[in-house]
Amino acid sequence: MSQGSVILRIISLPISILLICLGIMTILGGHITPGGGFQGGAMIASGIILSILVYGLGNSPLELSHAYIEVLESIGALGFIVLGLVGLFAGGFFLYNVGTDLLNIVPAAVQNALHYPDVTNAGFIPYLNIFVGLKVFVGLSSIAIAFEGFKKIVEESE
Amino acid sequence: MLSLGPIIFGLILGLVIGSQIKLNIGGAKFTLASFVVILIAGIVVAWQLGNYPFYTDLPISTAFLSALIGIFVGKLLFARSK
Repeated sequence: MSQGSVILRIISLPISILLICLGIMTILGGHITPGGGFQGGAMIASGIILSILVYGLGNSPLELSHAYIEVLESIGALGFIVLGLVGLFAGGFFLYNVGTDLLNIVPAAVQNALHYPDVTNAGFIPYLNIFVGLKVFVGLSSIAIAFEGFKKIVEESE
Repeated sequence: MLSLGPIIFGLILGLVIGSQIKLNIGGAKFTLASFVVILIAGIVVAWQLGNYPFYTDLPISTAFLSALIGIFVGKLLFARSK
């Protein structure tokens, strides 16, 4: 069920790929710039939604399977909780930033393991952004996929 | 000093998302040559973005470029045909 013209079908996949890259960049810059997990995830989802709207459901080059959505949604939620629990057990507070360890209460091994490798001292904040980004990306994409699927069902029943 | 964080995690996220790209379907006729054009366009965009997010190691956005490379590698290695 292709819905777009030839020009749209040629240009949509490249624009979707560039939008996805911009979303990933926004997620990875979330700890020092405006943006973060939710905004970046929404930008990635906008790339998927553009592709699905132009090429149609079942015909899109960028289409997520049910298992893929399930796995990424679970990884996003579980990763956030696990990082929070690491802070709880190692530092005494839920979501304590063990990568930065401002209170000097975390063993050095845990601190080094969860320290994001860049020049800022962000700790594990970028990891939280990545998990939130994954969850938002598949969440918003699945809403668009569901709407497109409902539309298809209504059109077939008429 | 080169910041490894955006490069590593951009590649990983790109691999995860690029594994879902499928090309040989009706309506979209993209070949590997199309991806070369997209890569060149992506390099131009990364150059124009500058050293976002404010690292001073390279004059291009390393997160953007590594995500683009990750998507292509993920598409070539893991993507299934329909």
